Amino acid sequence: MAEYLEAMLNPATGGDNLLSFLLSLIWIGFLMIFFLYPSLGQRMQLSYMLRDLERKLQKLRMIKDEIGNVAVDTVKRVGRPESDPSKELERLSEFFMIQPESMDPYGLVYKLEHILETGETTYEKEVAAIAPHATETQLKTLTNLVEILRGINTLYRVVRHYYLLGKKTSNIYMVLQIQMILPQLLEIAESYRQAAVAFSKGQPIGDGVGVLVAAKLADGAEKTRYEIAKDTIVQELELENRKVYVVRAAGPGGTVGRPGEAVKLLVEKLPQNPKLIITIDAALKLEGEESGKIAEGVGVAIGGPGVDKYKIEELARTRNIPLYAFVVFESITEAITPMRESIAKAADQVLSRVKKLILDKVEGGEVAVVAGIGNTVGVGG
Amino acid sequence: MSSEPGLVLGPRHKERYPQPLTFLKCSTCGTENSRPFKEEDYIFKTVDSEKCPKCGGTNSRIVNIYVPEKKEPK
Repeated sequence: MAEYLEAMLNPATGGDNLLSFLLSLIWIGFLMIFFLYPSLGQRMQLSYMLRDLERKLQKLRMIKDEIGNVAVDTVKRVGRPESDPSKELERLSEFFMIQPESMDPYGLVYKLEHILETGETTYEKEVAAIAPHATETQLKTLTNLVEILRGINTLYRVVRHYYLLGKKTSNIYMVLQIQMILPQLLEIAESYRQAAVAFSKGQPIGDGVGVLVAAKLADGAEKTRYEIAKDTIVQELELENRKVYVVRAAGPGGTVGRPGEAVKLLVEKLPQNPKLIITIDAALKLEGEESGKIAEGVGVAIGGPGVDKYKIEELARTRNIPLYAFVVFESITEAITPMRESIAKAADQVLSRVKKLILDKVEGGEVAVVAGIGNTVGVGG
Repeated sequence: MSSEPGLVLGPRHKERYPQPLTFLKCSTCGTENSRPFKEEDYIFKTVDSEKCPKCGGTNSRIVNIYVPEKKEPK
């Protein structure tokens, strides 16, 4: 037997040809498999992608659970409820708002505003019910925390949906799409994780830079203040004989207020049109850009669903008021996590630029409106 | 939940949270000093329970709260 094998492998006895023949046979076998079953390669790739997705989905679930624990602990510590709030928080994390029908766009902004306001009020009442001992400030921040829980819950459910659907239907293109955007989604989830801790402790966040500038502008110079819209105050002051009305969300609880409605109501009741309206907000930077970079332009610097932006734009158009805007660039993570030094320092620079703009564009005796936009958690004054 | 994927060992997620500092300005001597953020701190809050390390004054004001940038090692 051994002699026979040796002869087969010995080139002198023609063994070389036999070995080549066997190798060729194996290759032909492989080719036939791929020829008769062309989707095998795709299936192998799909299986690899699903494993990768599964690992990332697992990470997403861990972040969701961690945020859930932070929310439960904070509600227990701050709100001192009589029963375990876990079930109620789980229910609130599934809360939804249905966008208004846009087939007929007439009045769409006001329909959207109505739904958002109803949702906000309902949500605040629900959170107040599970945290009966929380102060008003704590309640607002707690509401933000529960909203983060809702956000991460939605993110997790959507990713899981595409993972399971892709797995069930073996649809590589569906899996590919969710796999491609998952790194960005994980970055957002990581931001939520840090944001949950920031809100649980009431720390100022990057998004609050606009409010911070407004608060610094009024600090020490405020003559009077009053609430003009829900959670939104006006601070009146004089800057070298110019009358300045500062509009911002009332802190230090976590709220963005209603700056659009506030500016509208304020300007409508003023005896003279303001010479300009300045909005200050945080803006998303592009990759590679420096955090805390300041840019100046025209228009209304307000993010979100667009209701506030629309109201100020409409008001400015009908009354022909120039709109100026300042933005401080930051990443999505920096916007919802504790304020970084570069952003806090940018607030001082924006403050001096706002003052300069008012002095340049507004004559003595004239009026300017400055609106600081953003979440006011951790910013009092 | 039966639809949940099984536990897969992956890289451990970071246990890191940014720790902000609170900057207080003494109302007596104007010295600014910082300490780790405490719950219920907020910008423009008047604090009357902490001594100024320079003059010993007990009245100060929170003027900033932020996470300091990490210094690059030289």
